[in-house]
Amino acid sequence: MSLDRRRINGPDESFPPVFALDGLQGTLASPRKDRSPTDIRPIFLQPGLISQANGSAYIETAKTKIACAVYGPRQSRNAAYSETGRLNVEVKFTPFSCARRRAPMRDAEDRSIAVAIHQALVSSVRLDLLPKSTIDIFITIIESDGLDGCVASGSVAASAALADAGIELLGLVTSCAAAIVGRDIWLDPTEGEARFSNGTLVLACMPALKKITSVWQTGEMQVTEALGCMDACQEKCTEIHSVVAQALLESPSLK
Amino acid sequence: MASHRVLPGQPISVPPNAPAPQLGGGIYVRDSQLRASLVGEVQQEGPTLSISRVRPRPPAINSVVLGSVTRLSPLQATISISVVDGVPLPAGEEFTGVIRSQDVRATEKDRVKIADSFRGGDVVRGVVISLGDARSYFLTTALNNLGVIFAMSEAGKVMVPVSWKEMRCPETGRLEKRKCAKPE
Repeated sequence: MSLDRRRINGPDESFPPVFALDGLQGTLASPRKDRSPTDIRPIFLQPGLISQANGSAYIETAKTKIACAVYGPRQSRNAAYSETGRLNVEVKFTPFSCARRRAPMRDAEDRSIAVAIHQALVSSVRLDLLPKSTIDIFITIIESDGLDGCVASGSVAASAALADAGIELLGLVTSCAAAIVGRDIWLDPTEGEARFSNGTLVLACMPALKKITSVWQTGEMQVTEALGCMDACQEKCTEIHSVVAQALLESPSLK
Repeated sequence: MASHRVLPGQPISVPPNAPAPQLGGGIYVRDSQLRASLVGEVQQEGPTLSISRVRPRPPAINSVVLGSVTRLSPLQATISISVVDGVPLPAGEEFTGVIRSQDVRATEKDRVKIADSFRGGDVVRGVVISLGDARSYFLTTALNNLGVIFAMSEAGKVMVPVSWKEMRCPETGRLEKRKCAKPE
């Protein structure tokens, strides 16, 4: 880890205090304790919380908390002429977002999440209407409970923020994660559940158009399991879509 | 048309035997189904269906823009565009426009002198004629109602236009050359 001299750096190495066994250690409780395998964590979504941004959204699903701000469309700087607009996604973790402190610098993990969210969103935005322009999406992960959950919730928040910003979209993007634990499909896995799973899958789609925008799979998974995950995720995405719709319809910032 | 809020991707129903409406902003067609692409209420004006959101947007061809002159050269004037179609852009998110000497006025194009048409700091009303190159949008002021709408004299006073190519300082009475916009 390189040192950022502009900041007050803590000790080189630090370790979180050790508490009694929680969900991250030992084995997973199977079957799932607090919710059924096909349940997702409850979603709280609020568009328009960041006043200086063109559009914004805040999403909270149990321990995953993400704020998203959309700026632009603004003129692309230092870029060649392009007939279509560009979508720029940046993801930042707060230092206290994970169990172990994250140094306030961009690393490979931020970027892989940013790429996954970009992939989920890019086909939903009508970039052909915005020549020479850039839309900036800044996603701050305030608290993280599993990367898959961050990608899914981040995509939902970013899509809501784009709608809040008045940027033309083909449809709202919703996203859901699934994990294969043993032989079962567990939707919306937490960090601990994802760690003990064989593989995970994040699916993003536009329920209004019945189109899938991205599928992101990691780990090991049978073809039938992957297809089962995709079906289960798509079904949940339709439910998440109604949550997003409700939030946007009731949002006072869109008056 | 019932006025209720629609969401991006939501189908918009039209009466089955009505003529196909013209599409305004915020609506698109996919698989011969009209759908919304913005959050808002569908409005109908004559044959045109649209969803309007008053939001800052980038200039498009034929947009009327306001901006201030930031840079002059014998060939062109550079404008920092701050208002597009009457909607102000957020501070710091201005677009760059360029008025080339042949786009200043419609007549005697080859005799145009940029220095006799604009000065730094003038506020100019123009129309976008092209998306231009990677850096800037191309603007024109070759219409009566386009050109300088606000300018300060050398004495630092707001000048008043006296003809389409001159403005007068109210303090010193001196005339300065500008390509003036016809007051509305």
